[in-house]
Amino acid sequence: MHIPDGFLPPHICLAGYGITGGVSWYCLRQINRDRHVQANIPKASLLTAAFFVASLIHIPVPPTSIHLILNGMMGAVLGYYAFPAILIGLFFQAVMFQHGGMSTLGVNAIILGSPSIAAYHLFRQRDRFRSNQQLFTKILAFGAGAGSLLLSAGMFAVLLITNISPDIDVNTERTAILLSLGSYGIQAAIEGVFTLMLISFLEKVKPELLKS
Amino acid sequence: MKLVLDQYAYLDSPLHRWQQDYKLVGLLSLIFAFAFIQNLWLLPVMITITWILFSLSEIPISFLIKRLRYPGWFILAVVIFLPFLSGNTPIFQWGHLIIRQEGCWDALLISVRFFCILTVSLILFSTAPFLSSIKAMRSLGLSQVIVDMTLLSYRYLEELGEMLTTMQRAMKLRGFQPKRLSRRNLEVFAQLTGSMLVRSYERSLRIYQAMILRGYGCQVNSKKNYWKLEINRSNLGSLLATLTAIATAISLIVMQVFLPSF
Repeated sequence: MHIPDGFLPPHICLAGYGITGGVSWYCLRQINRDRHVQANIPKASLLTAAFFVASLIHIPVPPTSIHLILNGMMGAVLGYYAFPAILIGLFFQAVMFQHGGMSTLGVNAIILGSPSIAAYHLFRQRDRFRSNQQLFTKILAFGAGAGSLLLSAGMFAVLLITNISPDIDVNTERTAILLSLGSYGIQAAIEGVFTLMLISFLEKVKPELLKS
Repeated sequence: MKLVLDQYAYLDSPLHRWQQDYKLVGLLSLIFAFAFIQNLWLLPVMITITWILFSLSEIPISFLIKRLRYPGWFILAVVIFLPFLSGNTPIFQWGHLIIRQEGCWDALLISVRFFCILTVSLILFSTAPFLSSIKAMRSLGLSQVIVDMTLLSYRYLEELGEMLTTMQRAMKLRGFQPKRLSRRNLEVFAQLTGSMLVRSYERSLRIYQAMILRGYGCQVNSKKNYWKLEINRSNLGSLLATLTAIATAISLIVMQVFLPSF
């Protein structure tokens, strides 16, 4: 779900960098308010690398396979560190594998990073529920995983299809957006269930990871 | 997972001698100027600039082709539909299938822009060690938190990749061969990812202890080395190259604005 170089007009690329700068500033301000910022940097960095590597795991969905985005999961585990982590991950992907690109780095960071912050706020709501917390954790984990992917897919499809060419008919654009959202809907359901399973695993094995 | 980023970072070409902070400013200006191009008349100019830079970098063409292969397929999958969907002027019709002129031009513009920007990005990050690029970004004002996270993530990326390969091999040896999507298979993948996160987290705690023992966080010299425009013998060439790149970028944007459209 990366928009490659050359697909978007320059004003969108520049706006992407501008918004990414603003969101990064806000996230860094929240991070700097943390009392243990120095101790959390190695944790966030190693988890960034782990998420980057985990996104290379291919899940078989015959006749093809998909790889997970995990931006909702990153939001749930990393909190405000998720946005810089995604920015770094996208930078690595652009430089190492030529996925995405340098001119569209800002736009891609918004597409994948802002839903992760939304997922963090959604997942944090589990602290409000004292009774039946396990059930609510599962529901919120699914919502964070599936919701953030759907949000990213929506932004990706709308930005790509409406900007790729000025000569495409509006109805064709609408059909293409709905078609791509339909296929991403299936992936969102898989990602939601995967996030639920992953959160349940971490709660059993290392609950402090979800609280740190 | 092998990261071959620094494979050609130690050659001795004019692009390698161009200081990375200056090069970052110059080539990023060019990348953004390329993103501005909408006029088909400017495509040969863009290709020529890219070709000159690539020739000067002395990077083998096989490296570029290898790097272009995967994103190239993605581009092909997207732009192949444009001649059928975009525009009103038919140039070829076969039954319901109509190839339109505007769509063909759009596909050409996007493909050339993509190819040129990607090649310049590759030159930018392949003609210097990755750590020099991060240092250059720090000197240009990138936040310390992001710099630290980038350096640490980069340091452990390959090791975690090896860890994942080992774990997947172990799973395979125990008979796990997923062929279809099922609840059990998804659960196994979730446990694999979870184990990797737990291992990384535990490792990060040990790394932090080691880092503070080595003085991490102690500001011995708090003066930050921000990028300053200084003219001396050692960076005169880099400065001239950067100014040339910026002037080229501005000229391209001016030509884009004033040239009549194709």
